Amino acid sequence: MNNDWSMQSEVIGKSNVLRKMGRLLGTIGLWAIDLWRQPVQFLSDALAVVWQSCRPVTWRRPTRSEFMRQCYLAGTRALPFIVVSGIFVGFGIVAQALHWLKVFGGTALFGGFLSVVLVREIAPVLVGLILIGRSGSVILAELGTMKAEGQVHMLDAQGIDPFLYLVVPRVLALSISMFCLTVAFVAVALMAGFVSGTLLGLTKFTFLDFIHRALGSMGRQEYLSIAAKTLTIGFAVGLIACKEALALSGSAVDVLDILPRSFAKSVLATLVISVVLTILL
Amino acid sequence: MAVILQKQRIVLRFEDTVLTTDPSGRSVSDELNLEVFGGDLFLIRLARSEQASTFADACAGLIQPLRGAVYFLGRNWQELPPDLANALRGRIGSVFTAGNWINHLSLMENILLPQLYHTHRSTGRIRDEAGELAERFGLPGVPLGLPGDFTPADLQRAACVRAFLGRPSLVLLQEPTIGIGSEIVSPLIQAIRNARDRGAAVIWLTRESVIWNDATIPVTHRYRLVARKLVEVTM
Repeated sequence: MNNDWSMQSEVIGKSNVLRKMGRLLGTIGLWAIDLWRQPVQFLSDALAVVWQSCRPVTWRRPTRSEFMRQCYLAGTRALPFIVVSGIFVGFGIVAQALHWLKVFGGTALFGGFLSVVLVREIAPVLVGLILIGRSGSVILAELGTMKAEGQVHMLDAQGIDPFLYLVVPRVLALSISMFCLTVAFVAVALMAGFVSGTLLGLTKFTFLDFIHRALGSMGRQEYLSIAAKTLTIGFAVGLIACKEALALSGSAVDVLDILPRSFAKSVLATLVISVVLTILL
Repeated sequence: MAVILQKQRIVLRFEDTVLTTDPSGRSVSDELNLEVFGGDLFLIRLARSEQASTFADACAGLIQPLRGAVYFLGRNWQELPPDLANALRGRIGSVFTAGNWINHLSLMENILLPQLYHTHRSTGRIRDEAGELAERFGLPGVPLGLPGDFTPADLQRAACVRAFLGRPSLVLLQEPTIGIGSEIVSPLIQAIRNARDRGAAVIWLTRESVIWNDATIPVTHRYRLVARKLVEVTM
């Protein structure tokens, strides 16, 4: 009889250990799923935007109007600020490049330096940060308020898909605006760099010579890089802002709470995309 | 004289439907069985405005019932793919209790939005029809400003214009007299008569005794929501 009791305790002990192991494995599994849930969800939303934007039925009249409106707000209205930023960056980076390359006798490297540093790296990230602050936060506030006040529900009730009407045009508008603004930024930065370099006596290039050196060193890779980075960064910034806003479940005041989180995610996405595409391209 | 009676179609049908708004699945109603034919005006008296939203969402297929089914124009909402469900919702005109207006669009853009989204009708024709409806509801024309520039009474008139625009098959009126009072009842009755003559059904949800007791409203069926049941009332 004592043997029966000891066997029973042994069985109970083993089943407790197995239960604990099972709980531990379950906790690890949940952690692993949570780790990948957000990136996978983001990727699936991104694919949904691309897929829906290719369908003609998506582009109904109100959606087209919304797209034009977002292009105006994110692109045209941001142009003056981009021009000013480009001027300062031109004075700063381009003039510095002219000076230090002259000091180290590397003026022949000027074009390559500009195409790598300014066009491929600095311009997309800087314009991305401007876009996040200027347009991403506005989209977040606008859509967050709409969600909190029941306007998104009203759209659903009228058979207007909020994803097609609100998200798709905003994401695409930001993507295209990002590309256009970056091209404008690079152009202004180069002009400003030339003007400052000439005024400070750092360069004796003619304007055409300067442009030839700056752009002549850009090959297919640079053009591909600037297009890929800008379109992807704009896409990511728009999608993050839309997702965060439409996931809001509280009142309009809660929009202020999600602003910093959305800003951080957008900045991180910008830097990650820039690094990844630099490596790949 | 031969009288030809046209059998109206069933526009909306609740079949053993138990509603829930709770993620945990707690029911907010007992079994609902209702048939709304074209030409009907259902006046449903409720105790709280949330009940109006829940019932209207169920009519529009936005809530998955705990049990049973809701049919609109013969189609079960739960069996429809999302694109088709959205297209069918374009046949429903609504006055909402909350979130009526998109703040960054003008009132005119808000009013025309469902028609521009769901149809290929020219913008000019939709605007003309909206203008006629606006005048009937006491507005000088289709309002052009932003929603924040208008009084609650004018916004409610504009909401009625949007609800009846485009010959909907079903009109859901969630407390349309809130914020404006009885001055909108007369044009509303006229609009309801016109919609019913075209074969549409109208469901008017209200908490107000004044509306419940108004004999000028051409109600075909009266219901009260009593202890989670819809009870028909004969007056």
